[in-house]
Amino acid sequence: MSHLLEVKNLVTRFYTEDGIVHAVNGISYTLDEGESMAIVGESGSGKSVSVLSVMGLIPSPPGKVEAGEVILNGRDLLKLSPEEMRHIRGKEIAMVFQDPMTSLNPVLTIGRQMTEGIELHLGLSKEEASQRAAEMLSLVGIPNAEDRLNDYPHQFSGGQRQRIGIAMALSCNPTILIADEPTTALDVTIQAQIIDLVKKLKEQLGMAIIWITHDLGVVAGLVEKVAVMYAGFIVEMGSVHDVYKDTSHPYTLGLLESIPKIDSKEKRRLIPIPGLPPDLLKEPTQCPFAPRCRYAIDKCWEENPPLVAIAPNHTAACWRAEEIHEGLRIDLPAGEPA
Amino acid sequence: MTAYIVRRLLILPVILIGVSLLLFAMLQVLGPVERSALYVRDIPHTEGAIQAIIRRYGLDEPFFVQYWHWMVGREDPETGEIVGGILRGDLGFSRTGREPVIDLLKRRLPPTLELALWSMIPIVGIGIWLGIQAALNHNKPIDQAARVFAILGYSFPTFVFGLLVLLVFYARLDWFQPGRLSTQFSQEILKPGFTQYTKLVTIDALLNLRFDIFLDALRHLVLPVITLSYLSWALLLKVTRSSMLEALRQDYVLTARAKGLSERVVINRHVLKNALIPVATIAGSTVASLLNGVVITETIFDYPGLGSAAAAAALSLDVLTMLGYALFTAVLFVVVNLIVDVMYAVLDPRVRLE
Ligand SMILES: Nc1ncnc2c1ncn2[C@@H]1O[C@H](COP(=O)(O)OP(=O)(O)O)[C@@H](O)[C@H]1O
Ligand SMILES: [Mg+2]
Repeated sequence: MSHLLEVKNLVTRFYTEDGIVHAVNGISYTLDEGESMAIVGESGSGKSVSVLSVMGLIPSPPGKVEAGEVILNGRDLLKLSPEEMRHIRGKEIAMVFQDPMTSLNPVLTIGRQMTEGIELHLGLSKEEASQRAAEMLSLVGIPNAEDRLNDYPHQFSGGQRQRIGIAMALSCNPTILIADEPTTALDVTIQAQIIDLVKKLKEQLGMAIIWITHDLGVVAGLVEKVAVMYAGFIVEMGSVHDVYKDTSHPYTLGLLESIPKIDSKEKRRLIPIPGLPPDLLKEPTQCPFAPRCRYAIDKCWEENPPLVAIAPNHTAACWRAEEIHEGLRIDLPAGEPA
Repeated sequence: MTAYIVRRLLILPVILIGVSLLLFAMLQVLGPVERSALYVRDIPHTEGAIQAIIRRYGLDEPFFVQYWHWMVGREDPETGEIVGGILRGDLGFSRTGREPVIDLLKRRLPPTLELALWSMIPIVGIGIWLGIQAALNHNKPIDQAARVFAILGYSFPTFVFGLLVLLVFYARLDWFQPGRLSTQFSQEILKPGFTQYTKLVTIDALLNLRFDIFLDALRHLVLPVITLSYLSWALLLKVTRSSMLEALRQDYVLTARAKGLSERVVINRHVLKNALIPVATIAGSTVASLLNGVVITETIFDYPGLGSAAAAAALSLDVLTMLGYALFTAVLFVVVNLIVDVMYAVLDPRVRLE
C-alpha cells in the first residue's frame, strides 16, 4: 500500500553569514491517510524547518532544500513550480502555527482571513465562503460564530485564537494538518482543551496529522507514531508505545526524564538534559548527541550512527540502541526527589 | 470608530486654544512699550503718543484680558471702532509685506500649496514606493541604492542641498530658473483671458488649456520640489523600508503563505496594510518638515510663497507677520495631526476600540 505522504532523505540548510546551518540532515518518514504522528525534540532540533520544507515555505535566501523527495499522492512536491505548490498549500496540507497571538493578521477581520483561503481553494462565492467560515468557527467551539466573523484577532483570547487558527487550517478539508507546537504558547488547561478539540476533529474529519512539540508528555493520547528529532536527524521513531516504553535512544530517555510526572506519587524533579544543544554549523560526522550522552563510547565520537530497525516499525540511531532497548539503564547522577 | 473621530474633533478646539495661548504668551515676553511699536509705522516721538497706543490696544491690561482682546478684538475707546481680533481675521499689518498680514498669508498660500502638492509626488512616489521595493528586494542592489539615497538625504541640510542644486542646474547648466514663472507669463496670468480658478498656476494653466504656461510653471517648480522633498522622502523611505521588513518577518505572513495565497496577495493584503501604519504616523512630521523646508527652499529659489514671506519677516523683525505665519503653521499642524490620528484608526483596528 502506498503512503499518503512520504518524505525521503530531506536535507535543508541555511547559508548564513556565520556559516552553513545544517538544520535538517536527511530525514525520512511516512504518513498514511488519517494517521497521526508527532515530531518531538528540543527547540532548535529542526522540527519547524523539516515541515516548512514539506510546505515549500523555507525562506530563500538563506534557506535551501538541498536534497530529498516529498511525495504526496505520488507527486514529488519539491519538483512542483511555485504556482503548483500554492494549490497544495492550504488545500492538501494546511498548517497551524505556534503563537496564536502573532500568527493572525491584526488588521484583517477573522472572516476575511478565513474566507480568502476558502474562496481560493474551494472556489466559493463571498457569501458561501463566509457561511463556510462560520460553520468552521462553530465547529471549533467559537460561540456566535456568524457575528464574530467581523471581529479582529485582538478581540479573542489566546485559546480562541488558536481555535480560529485550527478552523482556518481545516476550512478547505486538507488531507494533512501540520501543527507546529500549537499549544506551546498557551497555558496548561487551554493546552488540554486544544488537544481534545483536535482529537475530536480528527475523528470527525479524518485528516492525517503531524503534530510538532518539544514536550513528549502532551501528545501521547493524540498520536500513533512518534519521531524524535535531534540536531536535524530523526534519532528514534516508532509507535507511541515503542518510544515511551521500549525507548532505544539515550536522547529519548533524556526527554522522557525531563517530563514532570504530575500523576505519579513519587514526585521527581524535572531533569533537563545536561550539556549544550548541538552546533549546527558543523558538518555532522560523529554522533551529534555524543557530547551530552551518558552512554557514549569511543565509536560515537568517530561515526554518526545510522537510523536502523530495533524491532518491527521501531528505529533508532544509536550504536548502543540494542542494549538500551534491552533495558540497559545508567542511573542518573543525583536525581534526588524533591 | 465614529465615536473615536468625534472625540478627536472635540479635543481640537482645546488644542487650538492652547496653541494660541502659547503663541500669545511668547509675544508677552516683550513689554507694552515694545509691543506698541508693532502697531505703528513711524517711531512716535513723544511719551504721550506711546501711551495713547498702549491705551488704544490695551497693551497694559492683565494677561487674560489682553489674550481675550487679541482673540476677538477690542473697541477703540476713542473712535468706537473694533480693532484687532485674530478670530475676525485681523492679524495686524505686515511691515515687510506692506499689507494686512491676513492678506499677505492669503496671497502667499497658493504658491506654497502648489510647491507642497508637487512635492508629494516624489515624497510618496519615491519615498514610500522605493521603501517598499527596497524591502521586497532586501540586500539586493535596489535596496543598497535606496539606503545610500536615504542616508544622503538624511545628512544633507536643506540649504546645502538647495544651494548645490541651484549651483549645478541653474548657474552651470541653466536648465531651470528661480521664481514661479517667467516674466512674460507672470504678466499673462493676470490678464482677463486667463481665469485663476485655484491660484495654483500649474492647475490653472491646465484648466485654461495653456500648456506653455503649465510647462513654464513646472520648470520653475522642479528645483524647489526636489530640494523640498528630498529630506522628507529620505525619511519616509527609511521608515517604509524598515516597517516593511518588520512586517515581512511577522508570523501572520507565514500563515498567509501557508494558505496558498499568491505572493501578490500576501504583500498587498497582509504585509502592506500593517507596514503602512507607522508610515501614516510620520506623515504628521513630514508636514512639519515641509513647513520648515519651505522657508529655506523658497528663499533659495526666490519662490514667492509663505516661506519666503516668513523669512523676509524674520530678517527684519516683523513680529506680526511672523506671528501670523506661526499661527497658520500651528493650526495646520494640529489639523494634519487630527487627520493622521483618524487615518491611524482607519488602518489599525486595535486603535479604534482602545
Ligand atoms: N531563516 C533561518 N535562517 C537561518 N537559520 C535558520 C532559519 N530558520 C531556522 N534556522 C535554524 O535551523 C535550526 C532548526 O530550527 P527549527 O526547525 O526552527 O527548530 P525547532 O525544532 O525549534 O522548530 C536552528 O538552528 C535555526 O537557527
Ligand atoms: Mg519550531
